[in-house]
Amino acid sequence: MTSSSSVSLGKFENPQSKFAKRMMRLRQSGNLQPAIVSLLVLFFCIYAGYRSGDFWSALNWQLLAQPLAEAGLVSLGMMFVIACGGIDLSVGAIVGVAAVTAGIATQHKLPAPAIESAALAAGILCGAFNGILIGVLRLSSILVTLGSMILFSGVALALSNGNSFAGFPESLLWWNDATLLGIPVEFLLFLATGAVAAILLRYTLWGHYVIAIGSNPIAARYSGYPVALTLFGVYTLQGLLCGMTGILLVARLASARADMGQGLMLMAIAAVVLGGAPIVGGSASVAATLIGVAAFYIVQDGLLLLDVPPFVQYALTSAMLLVAVAAGNLLRGNCEDRR
Amino acid sequence: MSSSLSASERSRLTFHRHETKLATLLFVLGIGLAITAPRFFSSVNLALLARSMGVLLILSVGMLNVILAGGIDVSAGAILAVVSVVLVRLGNHGLPATVVLPLGLLTGAGLGGVNAALIAELRIPPIVATLGTAGLFRGLLLGWTQGEWESSIPPWLNAIGSPRWGGLDVSVLAAALAMLAAAWILHRTQIGRALFRFGDSPIAAARTGISPRQPIYFAYISLGLLTAIGALFYAAQLGAVQGNAANGYELTVIAAIVLGGADILGGRGSLFGTFLGVLLLCSLQQALVLLHVATYWQNIATGAIVLLGVILSSAPRLQRKLVLQQSPSA
Repeated sequence: MTSSSSVSLGKFENPQSKFAKRMMRLRQSGNLQPAIVSLLVLFFCIYAGYRSGDFWSALNWQLLAQPLAEAGLVSLGMMFVIACGGIDLSVGAIVGVAAVTAGIATQHKLPAPAIESAALAAGILCGAFNGILIGVLRLSSILVTLGSMILFSGVALALSNGNSFAGFPESLLWWNDATLLGIPVEFLLFLATGAVAAILLRYTLWGHYVIAIGSNPIAARYSGYPVALTLFGVYTLQGLLCGMTGILLVARLASARADMGQGLMLMAIAAVVLGGAPIVGGSASVAATLIGVAAFYIVQDGLLLLDVPPFVQYALTSAMLLVAVAAGNLLRGNCEDRR
Repeated sequence: MSSSLSASERSRLTFHRHETKLATLLFVLGIGLAITAPRFFSSVNLALLARSMGVLLILSVGMLNVILAGGIDVSAGAILAVVSVVLVRLGNHGLPATVVLPLGLLTGAGLGGVNAALIAELRIPPIVATLGTAGLFRGLLLGWTQGEWESSIPPWLNAIGSPRWGGLDVSVLAAALAMLAAAWILHRTQIGRALFRFGDSPIAAARTGISPRQPIYFAYISLGLLTAIGALFYAAQLGAVQGNAANGYELTVIAAIVLGGADILGGRGSLFGTFLGVLLLCSLQQALVLLHVATYWQNIATGAIVLLGVILSSAPRLQRKLVLQQSPSA
């Protein structure tokens, strides 16, 4: 009896194989999902470049960068929201409100800076509305934003009477046309926002509060952190970013409609999750979010060039999300129940 | 049909209070309507209201199972679209109802099973898993239909959707049956009680011998099955289906349940509250039509009433939950 137990003890002290050891180390290391996703996307890029001559052309990447920047801005906001343990279902509706506000401002013959500030203000107002309900009244984020999504999409429809707006001034459309060293200005704006987001997250007290609230709201509250104010800030920032996205969308499509932000909400959540952020919060990385959102748009664009029908693209990108999250979970040896 | 929960007597009281609040809200709405639009209470309009509630109620019963188990399913709209297209396409190919109906139900249950497997076996968080499958199901469906409409439905399906019994149709009967069956399962069977306990605390449930798989599979497959039944009536009432059908419908379903006072974190919720939530949403929409309010304002009213329901229901409960019970998964 004693000998058998010592044998099994020895087994435990000396793990099975080199491979198992490596797997153990992999599991203990940090977030692997961005690495997995970038590797998958890299393979995909090589394949797409091999099959389609246009894939590596500068024009393709320029055209790709613009929608990527729009979804990327919303994803950055969603990253903060998810990091603090929440979720925002209303982002698409806020983008619609901002776009319609820009349209109305244009109808009143306002100059471009005024149009932009009006759209941003509309976005901030919507975000602050969410922020008050979630941060100050402590309501559940998924429920509040479900209600405000319906509410804001109604506001956007009522403001526009279901019409679409056109006739935007040239100086607003500049956002779409201008490039710097061949890179669209939209994309540069996105990168700059990403840098600011990284600084906010890493080097400010506010970023620290966001992560702390996401990892354990009770501990954060008992530590005397300003939970209400921080959450209010998170959702207001999301509103601001949605306003920016609204302006960029209006500039690119040269029209404004109430349902413009449709699909952005799911895309943003999927991008953050694809980057490996846990949906329960407490962790965030700007680089991982950028990889997540870029992966979606690069794969979608590549599939388009490979003549895959758009419906199948939709299915394949969704499957990619499931595979990446499942692979990340298995590698991490994730045995907790997560929502 | 009041809920007898595994939680303490006090939370039962909270529950009753929420349903009382809802009933009061409905009562106020009713009085307002009796003054401004007495036509609302005509038998024709009430029958229309009942018909508009049928599909939503059937799906809500299934979604309530999922939410009770601490999950969420945003792929229900996609499953509804898949099943309705399957039913109509196969029916139009001349297959008899006796073959098509079981196939449709099986499709719904199967897709629900896919969700459950992703969540139970691969440990993907429910909102991420169903977000993925929603895109997957709808993408595959649109790839199959190539975006075309099925603009005619087989005669037997048409017969199911046409009104009889004084303006009511089979969907009302099916919704009532679904409610009764769910009430029995949730309160009188082991799996139903396991659903509540698992949703309240998966760890505590595991320690009392409830496998985490069983409630998850039961919840998502029952939602898939009920969605398939809902799809049958959806297609029958509409008379035409397409791949983009019911886009975003799952959010209406979730809104109705939230309005009904169920806890989105799982473990708490009642069928009666859900029924009141569906009734409130549907009668509000009907009332706005009768009052000649522009369609654009209907969303605003719906969103406001959902937010009001959230404020009414969750403020005291969430605070208590934060203090008393630290969620094990968070």
